[in-house]
Amino acid sequence: MLAEQRNAITEISYAEALRQGLRQAMNLSSSVIVLGQLIDYAPGVFGSTTGLAEEFGSHRVRDFPVSESAMTAIGIGAAVAGMRPVLVHHRLDFMLYSMDAIVNWLSLWRFKSNGRSSAPVTIRAIVGRGWGQGPQHSKSLQAWFAHIPGIKVAMPATAFDAKGLLLESIFGEDPVLMIEQRSLFGLKDRVPSIPYRVRFGKAVVRRKGTDMTFVAAGAMVPFSLRVATQLGEEGISAEVMDLRTVSPLDTGSIIQSVKKTRRVVVFDPAWNSFGVAAEVIAQVAEREGRNLLTDPVRICHPDSHTPMSSALEAVYYPDERTVVSKLRSLVRQST
Amino acid sequence: MAEITHEGILRAGRYRDLTIGDGEADVAKSLHQFMLRLRLCEEALAREYHPADEMRCPVHFCVGQEAVPAALSLLLRDDDYLYSHHRSHGHYLAKHAPMKALFAELYGKQTGANGGLAGSQDISYPDKRFYSGAILAGATAISAGSALALQLGGKDGVAVAGFGESATDEGIFWETVNYAALAKLPLVFMCENNNFSVFSPQLKRTLLDNISQRVAAFGMPQAAIFGNDAMLVYRTLRDAVARARRGDGPSFIEAYTYRWSGHYGPASDDLVGYRREEDLEAWKRNCPIVLLEQALTGLGLLSEQDKARLQRQFEAEIAECFSFAKSSPFPGEIDWDGLNLARSTPEADRLLAEVELHEFDAHQESTQTKGY
Repeated sequence: MLAEQRNAITEISYAEALRQGLRQAMNLSSSVIVLGQLIDYAPGVFGSTTGLAEEFGSHRVRDFPVSESAMTAIGIGAAVAGMRPVLVHHRLDFMLYSMDAIVNWLSLWRFKSNGRSSAPVTIRAIVGRGWGQGPQHSKSLQAWFAHIPGIKVAMPATAFDAKGLLLESIFGEDPVLMIEQRSLFGLKDRVPSIPYRVRFGKAVVRRKGTDMTFVAAGAMVPFSLRVATQLGEEGISAEVMDLRTVSPLDTGSIIQSVKKTRRVVVFDPAWNSFGVAAEVIAQVAEREGRNLLTDPVRICHPDSHTPMSSALEAVYYPDERTVVSKLRSLVRQST
Repeated sequence: MAEITHEGILRAGRYRDLTIGDGEADVAKSLHQFMLRLRLCEEALAREYHPADEMRCPVHFCVGQEAVPAALSLLLRDDDYLYSHHRSHGHYLAKHAPMKALFAELYGKQTGANGGLAGSQDISYPDKRFYSGAILAGATAISAGSALALQLGGKDGVAVAGFGESATDEGIFWETVNYAALAKLPLVFMCENNNFSVFSPQLKRTLLDNISQRVAAFGMPQAAIFGNDAMLVYRTLRDAVARARRGDGPSFIEAYTYRWSGHYGPASDDLVGYRREEDLEAWKRNCPIVLLEQALTGLGLLSEQDKARLQRQFEAEIAECFSFAKSSPFPGEIDWDGLNLARSTPEADRLLAEVELHEFDAHQESTQTKGY
C-alpha cells in the first residue's frame, strides 16, 4: 500500500464506514466473524454488511436463524473460545430476546471468572426512526445497558466514530453494545482508510462555546449542533459535547465544560425519565450543583412509546425551533 | 430395561444390566475411582455445610448423579470445553480442575477457583475450559458458541453442554438444538434427567416426557439411557464425542438419574412433599457406584482392600482441601472497575492506529425517510 493511500481520508457514509470497519477487522484477524439475520443478502443490513459474505465466505458471515437468544449466547461461547464475534440486529427491539444472554451471562463473564476469562462480543443494534417505525422498531435503550456493569455502550454519531468505535469494540477485551441510529446511516463524514480506534469513555467537543454545555449522544449530536448554530446566530454560545460512549461515561470532560459554562443541557435520544440524561445531570449536580446558573435541562423523547403516524412523529421527536426557543429563554432569564 | 422414563425405570426395579466387556476393565476401574472420589467429596462437604456455616453460598450436591461426570472425566481432553450448571461439582472435577480450588471457592477465599466471586453455582476454571452458571439453559447455548469456534479453527476439539432436563423447558435450548444440527457443530448435549426442576416433576411441566424424541425431530442423533449405569453412559458418550471429533455433528444424550439430596444443601427437602420416599429408596438401590462395584467385584477387579485403600486416599485428599480452604485468606481489596472491565486492550493496541478528526457537517438531512 502506498503511503498516500495509507493516509487517505475519504468522505463516506455512516453505513459505508461500518462496512469498511467490519471488512478491515475481518482482514486483520480470522477470529472476527459476523452473525445476524440476512447479513449475507445484497441489502446487507442497510449497506453495513454488503459484500462481506462474498469476500469472506458464509462460514464467517453467518446468516442466523430467527433465534436472537441463541445467537447472543453462541457469540459468547465463541468469544470465550478466542473468536471476536460481531452480532448484528436490524432493530434493537429484536435483540431483547437475548436479554438473559446479555445480562446474566455476557456482562458478568469477566467478573465471575475473577478476570481469567473474557468475552469480547460486539453487538450492533440499530434503532429506527421516522417513516412509521412505530413502537417496536424505534426503542433506544442505552440507559438499560449502561446501568449494567461489565458491558460498554457506544453511540457513535458520525461515520468517523462508527468505524473507530466498531474496530475498538471488536479488538477490545470487553463486551460492547453499539447503538446505531438508522437516521444517521446516510450521513457523510471524512473517514481515514486505515483501521483506527476511537476509545471508550472519551467524549469530544464538537463545537466550542461559553454560555452553556450541550451533552449529546447518537442522533442528538447533529441535532444539538444545529440548535447550537441557531443560538449562536443570536449571540448565545453553546459548547457541544458528543459523548460517543455512554458507558463508560466521560464525566471528567463534562464537568470541565460545565465549570466554564455553568449551564448544562443534555440531549439524549430516548425517553426522558430514568435515562442517560438523568445520569449526566446527577453527575453534574454531585460536583457542580451549587455553581449552576440555571436548572439543568433534558432534551429527550416524551415518556411515551413511539407513534407511527408521521403527523405524530413530528411532535414526538424534539423539534429544533421549540428547543432553540426554550434554551434562549433559559439563558435570557438568567443573565 | 424396557422403557426409559422415570416411571419405567421405577417399574423395572433393581437394575441388572450393567456389564463390563472385554477390554473395559481399566475404564470400569477409572469410572469407579472417579465416582467414589466425587461421592466422598460431596458427602464431606455436606457434613461441613450447615453445622459450621462457613461455606456461605448455595451449594447443590450431586450425590446419586456421579455416572455422567465420571464418563466425562475419561473422555474429555484439556482442549475440549465443558459447560455446567448450578449442580456443578461433578463436572468441575470431570474436567480435572483442582479440588482445593473448589473447596476454597465455596469458602469464599482468595485461593478459590474464582477468588470467591462465583461460589458453587457459578464456578469456572478457565485453564481447564470448564464453566458453569445457575441460569442453566443459557449455558447450553454458550457451549454451542465454543463448538463453533472449535469448528472454525479446524481443530478436533469438542464442546459438551451439561444440563438437567429442566433446561429443555426454555426456548433457547431448542434454538440451540436447531442451530447445532444445522451447523453440524462438534457438540454433545449431555442431559442428566433427574426429573425435578427444584420440586416440580417433568410431567407437571410438559405433557409428554419425550425430550429425546423431540430432539430427534431436529435431525440430531439422540439416546435416552439409564443414567446410573456408568459403563452404558461411558459407551454412549464415547460414541457421541467421537462423532463430534470426526466432524459429523452434534448428539443428544438423555441420562436418567436421580439426586439423593434436596435441591440445594445436604438436608432433605422431602417435607415439601414433592417426591415419594419409596422412589428415593428405589433409586438408592440403583446407586451408580454400587452397581459398578458389584460388577467389578464379580470380575475380581475390585477387592474390599482396594476399596478401603481408595477411600483412605480420597479422604486424605479431602482433608487437605478443607485445611487449605479454611486456612486461606479472604479476598483483600477489590478493584471493582478492573473486575468488570478489562484494564488493557492488547489486540486493539497492536492492530489499530490512533487518529482523531472531530469536525463534521451536522447540517445534512438525517431523518430516515423510507425503507424497512
